[in-house]
Amino acid sequence: MIDAPPAGQPAILLLGAREQALRVGRQRLALVALFLGAAFCLIAGRLVELTLLRDLAGERRASQAAALKPDRAEIVDRNGLLVAGNLATASLYADPRLVFDVDGTADKLMATLPGLRREELVERLQLPRSFVWLRRNLTPRQQQEVAKLGLSGLDFQAEYRRVYPLGPLAAHVVGLTDIDKRGIAGIEKSFDAELRGRAAGGEPLRLSIDIRVQHAVRDELQRAVAQFRADGGGALVQDVRTGELLALVSLPDFDANDPAAADRDALFNRMTLGVYELGSVFKIFTLAIGLDSGATTLGQGYDATRPIAISHFTIRDDHPKARFLTVPEILIYSSNIGAAKMAVDFGTKVQQHYLQRLGLLQRAPVELPEVGMPLSPSPWREINTMTIAFGHGVAVSPLQFASAVTTVVNGGIYRPPTVLRREPGELPGQRVLSAEASQAMRGLLRQVVLQGTGKKADVPGFHVGGKTGTAEKVRGNGYARRSLLSSFVGVFPMHEPRYVVYALLDEPQGTKETHGYATAGWTAAPTVGRMVERIAPLLGLPPVAETVAVGELGGRGGGNEGRGHKVAAQ
Amino acid sequence: MVLRVQSLFGDERGPSLGQKLREVNWGLVALLTLIACVGFVMQYSAAGGNWEPWASRQILRFGFGVVLLVAVAVIELKFWYRIAYVLYGVGLALLMAVEIMGTVGMGAQRWVDLGIVQLQPSEVMKVALTLVLARYFHGILPEEIGRLRVVVPPLLLVLPPVALVLKQPDLGTAVMLLLSAAAVCFIAGVRIWKFVLAIAATLVALPLTWQYALHDYQRNRVLTFLDPERDPLGTGYHITQSKIALGSGGLFGRGYLQGTQSHLSFLPEHRTDFIFTMLAEELGMVGGICLLGLYLLVLAYGAGIALRSRNQFGRLLAFGVTTTFFIYVFVNIAMVMGMVPVVGIPLPLVSYGGTSMMTLLVAFGLVLCVYVHRDFTFNRRAALAA
Repeated sequence: MIDAPPAGQPAILLLGAREQALRVGRQRLALVALFLGAAFCLIAGRLVELTLLRDLAGERRASQAAALKPDRAEIVDRNGLLVAGNLATASLYADPRLVFDVDGTADKLMATLPGLRREELVERLQLPRSFVWLRRNLTPRQQQEVAKLGLSGLDFQAEYRRVYPLGPLAAHVVGLTDIDKRGIAGIEKSFDAELRGRAAGGEPLRLSIDIRVQHAVRDELQRAVAQFRADGGGALVQDVRTGELLALVSLPDFDANDPAAADRDALFNRMTLGVYELGSVFKIFTLAIGLDSGATTLGQGYDATRPIAISHFTIRDDHPKARFLTVPEILIYSSNIGAAKMAVDFGTKVQQHYLQRLGLLQRAPVELPEVGMPLSPSPWREINTMTIAFGHGVAVSPLQFASAVTTVVNGGIYRPPTVLRREPGELPGQRVLSAEASQAMRGLLRQVVLQGTGKKADVPGFHVGGKTGTAEKVRGNGYARRSLLSSFVGVFPMHEPRYVVYALLDEPQGTKETHGYATAGWTAAPTVGRMVERIAPLLGLPPVAETVAVGELGGRGGGNEGRGHKVAAQ
Repeated sequence: MVLRVQSLFGDERGPSLGQKLREVNWGLVALLTLIACVGFVMQYSAAGGNWEPWASRQILRFGFGVVLLVAVAVIELKFWYRIAYVLYGVGLALLMAVEIMGTVGMGAQRWVDLGIVQLQPSEVMKVALTLVLARYFHGILPEEIGRLRVVVPPLLLVLPPVALVLKQPDLGTAVMLLLSAAAVCFIAGVRIWKFVLAIAATLVALPLTWQYALHDYQRNRVLTFLDPERDPLGTGYHITQSKIALGSGGLFGRGYLQGTQSHLSFLPEHRTDFIFTMLAEELGMVGGICLLGLYLLVLAYGAGIALRSRNQFGRLLAFGVTTTFFIYVFVNIAMVMGMVPVVGIPLPLVSYGGTSMMTLLVAFGLVLCVYVHRDFTFNRRAALAA
């Protein structure tokens, strides 16, 4: 077939136009082909960028995640049992710029993660930032469920969560950390920097607490608080030779894994932060000061026939004998009148001096951040000296009180209390009382349990000594007769004291079994007795026959039940 | 045995069917088959290492398509020249039929139910429009090409189907139709200033189109393209996931059948529009570049056939089809890599789907037909007289 030139067109012109048209056509075809080829190079280049360059960033992220290590040292009890550890978890965050459907995302998350607040979630998902936390420390199951939602703009960050495997058991000692693992209470707070520093070495922080003892003590205290319908309570066990705390409980307490559930009362450490007028338990110090200063002797008698009226106060006895009382009898029968008169004998200066040296007038030097400042009268008049003799007028923390008692019974050496492991002999301490005075006090405290107000604290074979204290709580300007703070400080074994056990009940109520009494002898004393019964075997103290013990009790006189009278008569 | 079929396969003086079969460019057929095989392999992987349900069907379709391709190739070029307007008319009628009685599905009216098979008229139009434009410009004398009135009929041919496709709504196909039509016009020699004018007019019309002609989802797609992070759950989600998958591929990929993004269903449409992502995730940059290389070879073949054709109709037809094919490849791959908006364009020969594969193979049948009849020359009257 041959192209026929259209009619009426000169052939020459036509040929030229044809040539040119063909050339233009070829040029344009080549141009388009080149253009398409260039487009090809463009997508090939993009492919290289996406596959190769993006991959490096991904690998970098992956290696960072793998290198994540716990950033906080563990905390263990004195036997190495874990009380605060780290758990690898995933935390959920969002890049709000990538969250398309805020309401839908919020709805799905609400359904998957209970406990989120919707308004807060919606607000966070709309913040003009590239990173907001939505929920920290998900469980693996929660992480899986959120991942399955397939929501855009959400991702997980691997991190370590602080966990307290024992829950509330030692919560007031260990304390807790905030969501960013900064210590905000207890040991976690006071050793925050050290715990972070130790994380590299991996050496855990070792407490003086013995979790077995802690558990027994908390268990018994809980039972007592429930039984006497008390507002709360506290208890501790302290080694008299080192000052170490083997147990420190304050009820109500909280679960450090779920601090949000705790109220203010639960977060309050009654044993260290609370300061109370502890009442008759203070008579221990009055007698110790009297004996050590030489102002009195065991055989001396004090007139307790009638109450003391001084200015507009009247000092009276709760269990009035209305006769002359010997020094032991003042403790055994807990005579306010006798104690006040004895204090007048040694005077304000001596009292201040001893209380100061026993660590009762300044903040307890324990490692916890929650330590209350004791309250003492200013000016310190004679009337104050007299009331302080039986535990009113000075408010101290139960912890510093117990530490002072360890000094009284350990031979007279004061050592600051500690919640960290301390080796015997590591801290020499300061002598506050003579060994003789301390020895005499051991005998007296044993008598209180054998025949005085602390009978219910006795545990056969463990020679418990101690003193009751029932204080009326301050209400407004006066004391509330029915709001009591009942406590008992026990020491065992009395022939060679090893541990002080102190239990305190805040506003206990009398029961049928106690004939309506809420006083320490009926509430705190039996509680301490049960504690001793449970912890003594744990601490490796075998029960001792009564006769052996009596023989060793200061070597003063013989006999058993009647021996107390002899002591008292000395 | 020599088959002689009157008129359809050439007149008595033309080559026999056997001769024509030998003339078919089997190199191009092999190349297309190779690309289709990449598709089979990926469909096999998409089904988690199974021939069922996708790979087997895709192979069947391809087999049928290749037969169709060869049939189209050996038919007289003049036949295609003659029925160009008829095909165009049918395509346009089908598009209007869709508008009137089309089955509404997948959020778009794109199918017309012919009782037995569902036909996608826009696919028919892709071929018909290239054919009709090639025929139109074949009849234009070289000295007439510069005249303004010459560009009026092509505009009238292009705009109705584009408008109808846009109304379906199928933004991607509408843009495809426009681009391939423009390519044919360009090669035909339409003056460059007219293209400039057309582009300028488009830019002016854009705000109006935006306001009145585009559906919400279409606007959304364009907006999301401009800022993919704007809609990470909807359209942007595809792109974001696609980029993640590509990034995880690396140089050699995660390994065949090992693509987590695709197999864990993070990647949507991974066996259709986003199959290139899956390929790059499993076979890496090297796999992706290899596929691109195969496509580039197809482009070279197409351009070569166009240049070799001694008639204008064949030249325009061959290059029009090749350009359309290439634009598909480019738009699809650029789309999965977040360079152009997500427009729902399949990757030629690789994506799962029967209609687009049939269309493509028929279109390449036409390219081969041009090759088979490369030395024929004919004018308008001669072609119509036969």
